[in-house]
Amino acid sequence: MPDQPAPPKPPPPQAPAPQPGAAPALVNLVIDGRPVQAKPGTNLIEAANLVGIDIPFYCYHRRLSIAANCRMCLVEVSNAPKLVPACQTPVSEGLKVTTNSPKVMDSHRSVEELLLYNHPVDCAICDQAGECKLQDYYMQYDHRPYRPAQAKLLRHKRKEIGPLVVLDQERCILCTRCVRFMREVAQAPQLGVFGRGNREYIDIFPGQPLDNKYAGNTIDICPVGALLSRDNRFKARAFFLSETPSICAGCARGCNTFLDHYDGVAYRYRPRENDAVNQAWMCDDGRLTYHRLVDDRQTRALAGRVGSGQPRPVDEVVAAAAEKLRPLAGQTGLAVLVSPQLSVEDLLAVALLAREGLSATTIYEGGFADGDQDDLLLRADKNPNRLGLRWVAAAFGLELRPFDAFLEAVDEGQVKALFAAGTEVPKEPSFVAGVLGTLELIVTQAQSFGPLVGVSDFCLPAAPHSECDGSFVNFQGRVQRFQRAYPPREEAQPHWRLAEGFLKSLGFAHRWPTARDLFRELSPRVPDLASFDWDELGPGGRPAPGLAARPAAADARPPGYRERVVTPPWQVKAARTDRPAAQDGGDGAPRAAEPPRDPPPGVGR
Amino acid sequence: MARLFRMLLLGVLIVLGLCAWAWLGYLAVNWLGGVTLGWGWGATLGQAVAAIVFIQLLFVMIVATLLTLAERKWSAAMQDRIGPNRARLPGLGRFSLGGIPHVLADALKMISKEDFLPSQSNRVLYHLAPVLNFAPIFCLFAIVPMGPPVPIRHGFAVLVATLQIANPDVGLLYVFAIASLAVYGVSLAGWASGNKLALLGGVRASSQMIAYEVALGLGLVGMMMTAGTLRLDQMVQTQSQGLFGLSWLPAWGIFVQPLGFLLFFAAAFAETKRTPFDLPEGESEIIGYFVEYSGMKFGMFMIAEFVEIVTLAAIVTAVFLGGWHLSPAIDGGLASFAAVLVRWRFGFAEPTGVLLTLAVMQTAIFAVKVLVLCWLQLAIRWTFPRFRYDQIQYLGWRILLPLGLANVFATGVCLLLDPSLSLLGAVGLAEIGVGIAALLWSGAKSTQPAPAPAHVGSH
Amino acid sequence: MSDAPKPPPKAPAPVAYKAPELRPETLPERAFVPELLRGLAVSTSHFLRNLLFSRDPSPDVLHRRGPNLVSTVQYPEEVAPYPPGYRGMHRLVPRPDGNPRCVACYMCATICPAQCIYIEAGEYPQDPIEKFPRRFEIDELRCIVCGLCVEACPKDAIRMDTGTHCKPTYDRPTIVYGIDRLLKGPAVSHRTDVWFKREGSDPPADGHGHPIPPLPGEGKS
Ligand code: SF4
Ligand code: SF4
Ligand code: SF4
Ligand code: SF4
Ligand code: FES
Repeated sequence: MPDQPAPPKPPPPQAPAPQPGAAPALVNLVIDGRPVQAKPGTNLIEAANLVGIDIPFYCYHRRLSIAANCRMCLVEVSNAPKLVPACQTPVSEGLKVTTNSPKVMDSHRSVEELLLYNHPVDCAICDQAGECKLQDYYMQYDHRPYRPAQAKLLRHKRKEIGPLVVLDQERCILCTRCVRFMREVAQAPQLGVFGRGNREYIDIFPGQPLDNKYAGNTIDICPVGALLSRDNRFKARAFFLSETPSICAGCARGCNTFLDHYDGVAYRYRPRENDAVNQAWMCDDGRLTYHRLVDDRQTRALAGRVGSGQPRPVDEVVAAAAEKLRPLAGQTGLAVLVSPQLSVEDLLAVALLAREGLSATTIYEGGFADGDQDDLLLRADKNPNRLGLRWVAAAFGLELRPFDAFLEAVDEGQVKALFAAGTEVPKEPSFVAGVLGTLELIVTQAQSFGPLVGVSDFCLPAAPHSECDGSFVNFQGRVQRFQRAYPPREEAQPHWRLAEGFLKSLGFAHRWPTARDLFRELSPRVPDLASFDWDELGPGGRPAPGLAARPAAADARPPGYRERVVTPPWQVKAARTDRPAAQDGGDGAPRAAEPPRDPPPGVGR
Repeated sequence: MARLFRMLLLGVLIVLGLCAWAWLGYLAVNWLGGVTLGWGWGATLGQAVAAIVFIQLLFVMIVATLLTLAERKWSAAMQDRIGPNRARLPGLGRFSLGGIPHVLADALKMISKEDFLPSQSNRVLYHLAPVLNFAPIFCLFAIVPMGPPVPIRHGFAVLVATLQIANPDVGLLYVFAIASLAVYGVSLAGWASGNKLALLGGVRASSQMIAYEVALGLGLVGMMMTAGTLRLDQMVQTQSQGLFGLSWLPAWGIFVQPLGFLLFFAAAFAETKRTPFDLPEGESEIIGYFVEYSGMKFGMFMIAEFVEIVTLAAIVTAVFLGGWHLSPAIDGGLASFAAVLVRWRFGFAEPTGVLLTLAVMQTAIFAVKVLVLCWLQLAIRWTFPRFRYDQIQYLGWRILLPLGLANVFATGVCLLLDPSLSLLGAVGLAEIGVGIAALLWSGAKSTQPAPAPAHVGSH
Repeated sequence: MSDAPKPPPKAPAPVAYKAPELRPETLPERAFVPELLRGLAVSTSHFLRNLLFSRDPSPDVLHRRGPNLVSTVQYPEEVAPYPPGYRGMHRLVPRPDGNPRCVACYMCATICPAQCIYIEAGEYPQDPIEKFPRRFEIDELRCIVCGLCVEACPKDAIRMDTGTHCKPTYDRPTIVYGIDRLLKGPAVSHRTDVWFKREGSDPPADGHGHPIPPLPGEGKS
């Protein structure tokens, strides 16, 4: 498990006795023979997780109330005659928990069989296949053929219950995670459990679609393929996707996400756990912003206005554009428009270009227009890096003026030429393009096609944040790193790389092999960034870094579970019965000199 | 069965064709000799020119060219394959003519290929090497008598027409002298290519040739002593007599000098650089001295190899297989048959006509023997695995050379004791008998479970 | 060949392998020439048999008869019969209504060791099976005909039972087979196929599909 933070080192084996040095508040218990110390009130699933023991579960979710209705997590404890649900049972002093006894295994197997009783097992057409806990636990615990002979109950297989969500009632295992999420987190109880007994099912209320802004999270927390996304339905199999830690660029909150991609194409965002920013959720609008990384991309360098733009090599177009810009440097007629969609690194390079290369004293703020805001996650500012833009502009001595001021200046004829890093504008783009059509020179660095690309004299292909390393500053002032998921499409290059090209053509000798070098060279100029270490992500005094390696249970899955090699139960047993034999030497001779071995953390299970 | 008849028919056609070729050849030699005699330039010149055309161009070159195809077809037959049959002439539909169009296709290919010149090569020598290789081999055939001399009257003069280009007294020494020149072509090709592998091939070739040159000579010395001459036509004449006075057992070199035959054949085979002696080529590891050659330059190396096969077969025929003779009895029968033919045609046995007819038939016999020996060489090439390099040297220096010396010595002793060849014949037949016994013995042994592979050099 | 006195027998060195015991060579084998002649005899007999007798033109090389031993098959004119058990090129199995059985589950593409299957999924608007392959392409040049895709398919939608092999072509694009060329052969349906249970995505009123008759010997668990 290389991607997982190392589990805390277990205390020595005689741990069940109260430790003189240990904090008195901790409770000692033994899980599968391993001593565990946990805070009072921790449930057994989390406690077992501390020593790397997985207890299977469906309905439990760290951030939701506990329903204990799936019975998958039943374990044997020393203080109860019957099996108890691990999700609901808090730790208690001296408790002995067994998670792999035959009785527990039998219970897992029975629960699996019950859940599969009416399950269609149409994994072939189920988008969850590959990340489905039903599949995983079947392979791990059940592994038996289906026994009932009569036909399964049929229900709605394809009910589009909301703009983003499609429900398959047959696949549902009635864990009620989705119901609890809508009630407790989204505070919009739009889902309910209907029917009785065998015929229970999840549904929406008549005439009331699942249209909450956070409904997409039910797709993530549904442990099976009952709630699935309509957006990327049947687009890619989950087992083909690779995940890269990223940041949602949908609003100023900067929700931490995983970007799932395959073969250079992004397929979806999934929320990544970060208590300080987005807990384990993200909004539906943000979830769909991955389309910007894929659709309508402008990936060639174009020269020539209004549709006549011909693809040319990037270097050539940069040099030609720089030649046109050179005489305008320092003149008031040259306006620089910068979008807060750019990363901090992009902004640093663009600010350097504006300040030194183009001798500008003013830059205009672009970016998307404001929108809704709510109490949970959504911010009105729909740009991920406006604060970063402000910091950088201030540090480089550039006056930051709003977009309206830019339009006014254009109206008054003060603007002759435009250099735009990022073509996102808060007004209707075709209107803006119409206004700008009168300018003498328009140079843009654009990530997608749009009206502004159409009126550019020179348009350079810019790479979005999925295609380069960098960071955003969210509205709280958190600098959050994102990672490159795949190389830039075709000829696209990060904004900072293009700015470097401009600077070079204008006679400046800046060379940044990577975004990291750029950041290390330029960020000391920005006081707000000065203490931020690009590598460590944990500058002093700043909130914990945005990039947590593999947070546990962002969506209640075991951390990094897709890469995990699950040790089958039979091998687990073999490993455990081996150990005592090895300790007394195996040949009868006592090995007094050899110290008793610690059970290695996280292995042998 | 149909194929059997076709093959027999083909054989008869080949023999008839050879007869026709020989007949025309004699006529041409005679005619051109007369012409140059009339011009006062001497008959030899005209005879030689005619012989060059008929022997070198019409026999050697055509046979060598066909051998390039035969090598593929015959090896295919030995390996249970069909062989090349896909090149076809336009208008002939599905008939592949036994693959003969492949010869044309090969020629076209070689002529039209790029004439590649490696950048590291020595230009002059690189271009010269194929010629240096080809020319001596081509010259070798000049002293081979393909048919008996026939005296024909031209007015007052009598010209002896013979299918032999030149008949110097040095005879076989010419063979040794010229054959050893061919190595220059090969080693120069290896060196001038500027390629390490080619150089390796050239060096291997020269060392191999040096090793076998001696055995080559020694193998023939016995026969020279037996015949008491170096001239090939006289050697053939020597072999026309019967052994022990028996008219059915000819005194062929192979009977009186079986060891000499073996030595010479093995050594000459090594000189042709073909499997099992193909280390200079070494297709599987170094490709050899011609690795850098392409197109017709490579073609010259290849065709030289086949010319060498024909030449070797002809020399062996003349020296060891009785040339155009079969046995005294059969020769006599053929002479009577010739007389019958001439009488049937002209009404009486015109002596020159009889001689000419006999000569034509005997020339065809010579040619057939040559063809059979060519086949034998191809069969050997497709049967035996290649020697290891140390085995080659071992065989040359430590087996063939001592055997050759012993053979010369034994031959001398026998000839001193009995100049009439009877003793020599007895010893030779005894040697053959021992060989056959060994063969039978080894055959009996090999009915035991699979024998381990035997290597000549693994002593 | 040396007569040096034999060294005293030693305990064999412990080696990881055992060299085969070679029978000592007999004298005729060492003399070499008789062995050469015997080898020549073998190739000569093959040569004569193949030269003088007619070739058996039966394309089945396993059943050559007669003195001629040539086993070449003259391919375009003669075609060797496929051995029994030969499976042949893929086909996509049709359902009774003519659509492919395939549901674009990507199992075959996932398992394919040559990575030669390309699938794009689409969605049927009204069909109990919601998913179908909009594109299904096999690059037959890259396919190693291992049959793993057939094993992997959960829907019996891809089979290798055509008994033919892939036709040679003059360019690469034409050897990428799409649905149009892969979808062929007799339609197949199974007792458990979804379209026997329900008409569309909505459930029947009673929540049960059409009863599925149990197979003989089935039903008592
Ligand atoms: S929910 Fe899981 S088990 Fe059920 S069909 Fe989907 S992938 Fe298969
Ligand atoms: S739809 Fe999914 S999350 Fe909701 S109850 Fe069913 S299985 Fe659980
Ligand atoms: S036969 Fe093997 S290689 Fe060919 S498509 Fe199927 S899985 Fe791939
Ligand atoms: S495995 Fe079968 S059903 Fe799945 S995509 Fe391949 S052919 Fe279609
Ligand atoms: S009952 Fe504990 S996880 Fe569901």
